[in-house]
Amino acid sequence: MSNQKKRNFQIEAFKHRVVVDPKYAEKTWSILEHAIHEIYNHNASGLSFEELYRNAYNMVLHKFGEKLYSGLVATMTAHLKEISKSIEAAQGDLFLEELNRKWNDHNKALQMIRDILMYMDRTYIPNTHKTPVHELGLNLWRDNVIHSSKIQSRLLSMLLELVHRERTGEVIDRGLMRNIIKMLMDLGSSVYQEDFEKPFLEVSAEFYMGESQKFIECCDCGDYLKKAELRLNEEIERVTHYLDVKSEVKITNVVEKEMIANHMMRLVHMENSGLVNMLLDDKYEDLGRMYNLFRRVPNGLSTIRDVMTSHLREIGKQLVTDAEKLKDPVEFVQRLLDEKDKYDSIISQAFSNDKTFQNALNSSFEYFINLNNRSPEFISLFVDDKLRKGLKGVSEEDVEIILDKVMMLFRYLQEKDVFEKYYKQHLAKRLLSGKTVSDDAERSLIVKLKTECGYQFTSKLEGMFTDMKTSQDTMQGFYASHPELTDGPTLVVQVLTTGSWPTQPSITCNLPAEMSALCEKFRSYYLGTHTGRRLSWQTNMGTADIKATFGKGQKHELNVSTYQMCVLILFNNADRLSYKEVEQATGIPASDLKRCLQSMACVKGKNVLRKEPMSKDIGEDDAFFVNDKFTSKFYKVKIGTVVAQKESEPEKQETRQRVEEDRKPQIEAAIVRIMKSRRVLDHNNIIAEVTKQLQSRFLANPTEIKKRIESLIERDFLERDNNDRKLYRYLA
Amino acid sequence: MKRKDTVKLISADEMEFVIDKDAAMVSQTIRNMLTSPGGFAETELGEVTFPEISAVILEKICQYFYWALQYSRGKETEFHIEPELTLELMMAANYLHA
Repeated sequence: MSNQKKRNFQIEAFKHRVVVDPKYAEKTWSILEHAIHEIYNHNASGLSFEELYRNAYNMVLHKFGEKLYSGLVATMTAHLKEISKSIEAAQGDLFLEELNRKWNDHNKALQMIRDILMYMDRTYIPNTHKTPVHELGLNLWRDNVIHSSKIQSRLLSMLLELVHRERTGEVIDRGLMRNIIKMLMDLGSSVYQEDFEKPFLEVSAEFYMGESQKFIECCDCGDYLKKAELRLNEEIERVTHYLDVKSEVKITNVVEKEMIANHMMRLVHMENSGLVNMLLDDKYEDLGRMYNLFRRVPNGLSTIRDVMTSHLREIGKQLVTDAEKLKDPVEFVQRLLDEKDKYDSIISQAFSNDKTFQNALNSSFEYFINLNNRSPEFISLFVDDKLRKGLKGVSEEDVEIILDKVMMLFRYLQEKDVFEKYYKQHLAKRLLSGKTVSDDAERSLIVKLKTECGYQFTSKLEGMFTDMKTSQDTMQGFYASHPELTDGPTLVVQVLTTGSWPTQPSITCNLPAEMSALCEKFRSYYLGTHTGRRLSWQTNMGTADIKATFGKGQKHELNVSTYQMCVLILFNNADRLSYKEVEQATGIPASDLKRCLQSMACVKGKNVLRKEPMSKDIGEDDAFFVNDKFTSKFYKVKIGTVVAQKESEPEKQETRQRVEEDRKPQIEAAIVRIMKSRRVLDHNNIIAEVTKQLQSRFLANPTEIKKRIESLIERDFLERDNNDRKLYRYLA
Repeated sequence: MKRKDTVKLISADEMEFVIDKDAAMVSQTIRNMLTSPGGFAETELGEVTFPEISAVILEKICQYFYWALQYSRGKETEFHIEPELTLELMMAANYLHA
């Protein structure tokens, strides 16, 4: 057949293939058609690829591509129609298997056909923009089999039924499902979506709507959530096993919507098992589950957050307004800390440290702590208690932890200046009576306060510490320079700088002779080294240790206040004294004297004095004797030291008034500062700016600010604008 | 002696060329032939008949396969084609998609 003589470039060699023979095309096509039949009938082994390929090649080459293509279409369609009939004939469950099998066959055949018709695919089809063979095969399959009226609906219902069966707990043939679904995906994503996914999602929605209705009637919140989670995971698993990955998001949305979003409010507010109960019972697992599930739906988390916030505010409000609880400030603060700890651990364990929840917690605490205006005082008392005895024996890290917690509560306070006032008072008492458990702890707290509020806040407190230290040095110096005094009564003086310490009205009393001589010596010593200073004795804040011998010879060492010491020393020279005599001799103010006599005469175990009559209160006509029958188990007896207590009503009023007074200059300073930089500002803006500036110390009252502005205008710091009454101008 | 990874190409005038499968796969057509899922005769026997390609051309084609493999592995030499072979060679190349 081949040409030996190539040198002539003759084309004769191909002459016998020129289309002289009109039937050539027919003949070639019938060969191919036959081949296709054989392929579909699984008889391909007898065929020669090369021959078929060559035939197809030739047809295309000789411009019979059209015929080839249309013939292919027709043949395939015919075969597919037969195939679809046989699938339709399948009964019941065998339907899907039959479909699957035929699909596999078709794919195999298609590939073989494509291989032999490769040349056409390469050249003819791109030229004519027809569908390539492979795609053509898929389309024909889709049109003739899947979309044939009988098969389409049956296929869908079978698939949905299988899914339903699996949902109700049966085991189904997942491999088969996977293949069928894959077939749908291969036919095009629109086929998958239209023929399966959409109805699947609808049916699923109905199913879950029913499920959720059923469950929510009979389950409590925790159980329901467990079930919802189970179903959700099941659906995700289903997708990985036999559905398209893109369906995962869609189906999870369906489940989330039906099972969670639609019942959110009901779940959260469920009686006896809803969110509030979970919070109260620390049900970390349930709460964590709720958090994870609700996170998937819009507004889920904000619902939880809102309920938690309102619940917190509720119990917080109860806490701070419960009169019972308020009787013991230390208890009260401890309860607050406990609540905070509880919710901190809930947030960290169940809500995965979500910042928004943390913020909600903070704002709730801030809200209810400030509902009770004694909170600053109580917190200070709590700290006082801890620093006096609560921290004894506690390790350094634990001390830090407790102080940090206190700082946390401190941050919530709006009226920080009130806290400062009380803290100063309590600190003064602690320092002067030497009752603080750990100097380091005190200093540590001061440092924390400084970091939080700035130097201004703590400068006076630090001044108090400095005074204590300086006094120690002074005392050493005093005794060093007066060696003759070591035999007499020992004097320990604390020199307090007036500005740093809480102001007390200084009322002196008449000290016994031995003491006053000693005190004068000290005064001259001190003034010798520090000229230009003025010393005044604060006798209401001192303490004394005195040795007493009672009637039966029992000796005790008594630790008393300075006032009490004055009273007791009087009995060195007299056996019986009336109230009036005591008052005159000591010069102690009446209320203090009464208290001090009460603690020495009326308190069991500390009654070093006897009173006639034996009533509880001190009357003006009472008489006092030394109690010779006084006994105590201990050698050292402590009587009535000055303890920091919850203030009584009048005291509280007084303190508050002082705080208000202190605020006035601060407000004025803020106003002046602002006006100096802005020059001109209107009323509302001033209020806003001032409030913002003072925020870190206290919440400024707008009326008060207005008053201060008026006062500043009177004093010619500001003036009102002539045209606009609301505008203020700074006067240099 | 037929080794496992060779194929036999048979020309129109019954000349047999035994080449490696890798070389043969340079031709897309041959590659499809050999990897087609159907049970075609070619895959069974491991030989392909080309009743329309002469031995001379087929020989040149086999040389081309090997040269193509060499070239793809970096050895850039020239492939010489005698001018009188060109037309038939090109037709065959088109047929074999190489």
